[in-house]
Amino acid sequence: MRMFSVSAVLALLAAGPLQAEEQGRLAFVACPIVQDTPTVPCWLVEYQGKTYYMGIQTDVSAPFNPPSLGHKVLVEGTPTDREICGAQVIEPIRISIIPELSPECDELRMARPGVDLGFDPPRPPGPSRGRLAFDYLDPPPVPQAPFAVRNFTVDYDFEGMVGFRTPRILQPALEYAQQSKASRLEVTGFRGATRLSDGKLLEEHAGIARERAEEIVRMFRGAGLDTEFVIRAGDEAIEGGPENRKVDIRIVP
Amino acid sequence: MQQNGEANANTGRAGRVVLTAALALLAISVATSGRTQEHAGEKPRWWSPGDGATLPELAVYPNASGHLGILNAGGPVDTRGHPFFEPIGTNGRACVSCHQPSDGMSLSVQSIRERWEETQGADPIFAMVDGANCPNLPKDDPASHSLLLRRGLFRIAIPWPPRGADGKPFEPEFDIEVVRDPGGCNTDPVYGLNSPNPTISVYRRPRVVANMEYVVHQNFGVSPFVGKTGEPALRDPETGKPLNMNMMADARVVTLKSQMNDAARSHLEFAGRLTPQQVARIEAFERQVYAAQVDMGAGGSLVEQDGPPGLGPYNLLHGARGVLGNNTTRWVIPMGDAWQSAKPDETAETRRMRESILRGQQIFHFRTFWIRDSMHLNTVGLGNPTKRTCATCHGMHMTGLDTVNGWMDIGTTNLPWAKEAPRNPWQTEDELMPLFKITCRRSAHPHPYLGRVIYTQDPGRALISGRCNDVGTIVMQQFRGLAARAPYFSNGSAGSIRELIDFYDRRYNIQYSDQEKIDLGNFLAAL
Repeated sequence: MRMFSVSAVLALLAAGPLQAEEQGRLAFVACPIVQDTPTVPCWLVEYQGKTYYMGIQTDVSAPFNPPSLGHKVLVEGTPTDREICGAQVIEPIRISIIPELSPECDELRMARPGVDLGFDPPRPPGPSRGRLAFDYLDPPPVPQAPFAVRNFTVDYDFEGMVGFRTPRILQPALEYAQQSKASRLEVTGFRGATRLSDGKLLEEHAGIARERAEEIVRMFRGAGLDTEFVIRAGDEAIEGGPENRKVDIRIVP
Repeated sequence: MQQNGEANANTGRAGRVVLTAALALLAISVATSGRTQEHAGEKPRWWSPGDGATLPELAVYPNASGHLGILNAGGPVDTRGHPFFEPIGTNGRACVSCHQPSDGMSLSVQSIRERWEETQGADPIFAMVDGANCPNLPKDDPASHSLLLRRGLFRIAIPWPPRGADGKPFEPEFDIEVVRDPGGCNTDPVYGLNSPNPTISVYRRPRVVANMEYVVHQNFGVSPFVGKTGEPALRDPETGKPLNMNMMADARVVTLKSQMNDAARSHLEFAGRLTPQQVARIEAFERQVYAAQVDMGAGGSLVEQDGPPGLGPYNLLHGARGVLGNNTTRWVIPMGDAWQSAKPDETAETRRMRESILRGQQIFHFRTFWIRDSMHLNTVGLGNPTKRTCATCHGMHMTGLDTVNGWMDIGTTNLPWAKEAPRNPWQTEDELMPLFKITCRRSAHPHPYLGRVIYTQDPGRALISGRCNDVGTIVMQQFRGLAARAPYFSNGSAGSIRELIDFYDRRYNIQYSDQEKIDLGNFLAAL
């Protein structure tokens, strides 16, 4: 079931050691803030009286994809000493848009003197001037025999399912399965949990591991892959970072 | 001449015709191109099914902004016995009935009204199957055809629940209720949602059948998985290859062949399937026909040989298909340098229009605004909101289409943004469009911007996919031949180019100045 409530999940918490924060890593849920600049907007977030910089508006395939007003965001990352847009940079950073609506998250700060990126954005707000924040990679070479068992991993945002980033993994996996005439695909879903900096445990909803695995199988079938699929999923939430929110795909030629 | 972006929808057709210096300019440009042309008479020509005439290599038709050109790259088309032009079904319609050359290979509401007047409603376009609000209404009563006569909308009947690729029903992520049903079809015991064959009727504009090499391209962004959602792209049943899904408003069929069979069955009431020969002739015609404005009346020619490389049908014929525009090597709509300075023979009126079009092109490419809460745009990694421009979404070189699968919700059918008649004690206008209540089930994520309960005039792609996030998403249209085919948006809710611009201005709080609206309107009309 995808019904999800931060407060409900947090009610299950057992306050533990602030392990994440002690290691310098932050994990928290808050409203994102848009800070406009003379070029592209910065995306900020406030936590415990500090303002943090998450990233800038860039492009679809950029490493950082901004969150959404109208929703809270789960921030997982490590603050640095650098400042951009007058805020402390978190890098590396992983963000997840919390699916339920939060209309109170609605702050758009207009551009003002003294607040800027300090660098040229890789992609301006209009057309690209010949540059993109990303380049579509040339297609990888067609897999060649001999074919061996090969693994692919689809990673997810918190409570995330298949989305615009998923094809980056599914496409090469599909190509490999087709070229190797895979006899079987073993698809294993996982459910993650994140220890927030305030000690609370934020778990993905029960059942999401299987939902993820089944959805990935539907994607492959819809793309025309006709082979045996083995679906596996555990319902235990694995505490840790974003790496636990995943589906492993094992392709057996 | 047109002073602003309005299509002057209330002006009589004769009044729309501009036959002054424009024709001379056009004649010069056509003559220099060595092409033949159909007359540019005072009235756009209506092509009746079985007309039997020859559609010239270049046919030129008047509209409120100047003239539209229909270019047949394969040369003149003999329409005698041609399945696109012959009434192959049982209701007297042909493909050309709703894809009129003079209307940019779509069908303007002005043409529809004129056909009603000239035929007292007997023209096959008013066939009850979809040319009426519901087939069971009185045929001769214009009120039975109000959605067609007032908005240019045909009824599209979609089975509910949705069907998968195997034709079997599947469980959608949402429940649907009929809240308002002015046409009566959705609550009808024979045709409605609770009928023995549960059906949802939505009402949509005919799409443009021209420049199709761009629409069905196999280039940038076409891959096994849809780049915006990750879901599998529909595939060609004959080749198994993934396809661009930009042809129909809800992407329910994705090849020209499947579309023409779908249309022949549903719109032409054609029993059986088209023969391979018919399919081949229709597809060959559709792949070689290009539509674009060729002049702006006294505002001058758009197709001079050294003119802007993004304008006119000849440039469309030679343009790169299915590629993303940028602003150095390949603008979405390139204008080049031809109009940067006045030419010796250019009139003051032409100069003013060209400068306005150039400004409009700059607005299209560079005027930023906050794009917010638009499903399948703000959800694809750009952030919500994102500070971008018209060209962000309308990015395909030469057409303004989306290069990838382009269904998106900008609010044309979903409330609160969709056009609705005001309700108050003093107004008497009843809303034309049906209204549905969508309730997303707990087993699905809520819609990221509209929550679990959504009111919509047309659920769009969601009627096919069954997905909550797709409610109100409509595949975007190309930008060519706009001046010839008002009204705009899939539900015809923008009666003119100016109303189209006003919709965006309200929706995204752009705060265009009046001059910006005029310039953007002239730019769009010139496409």
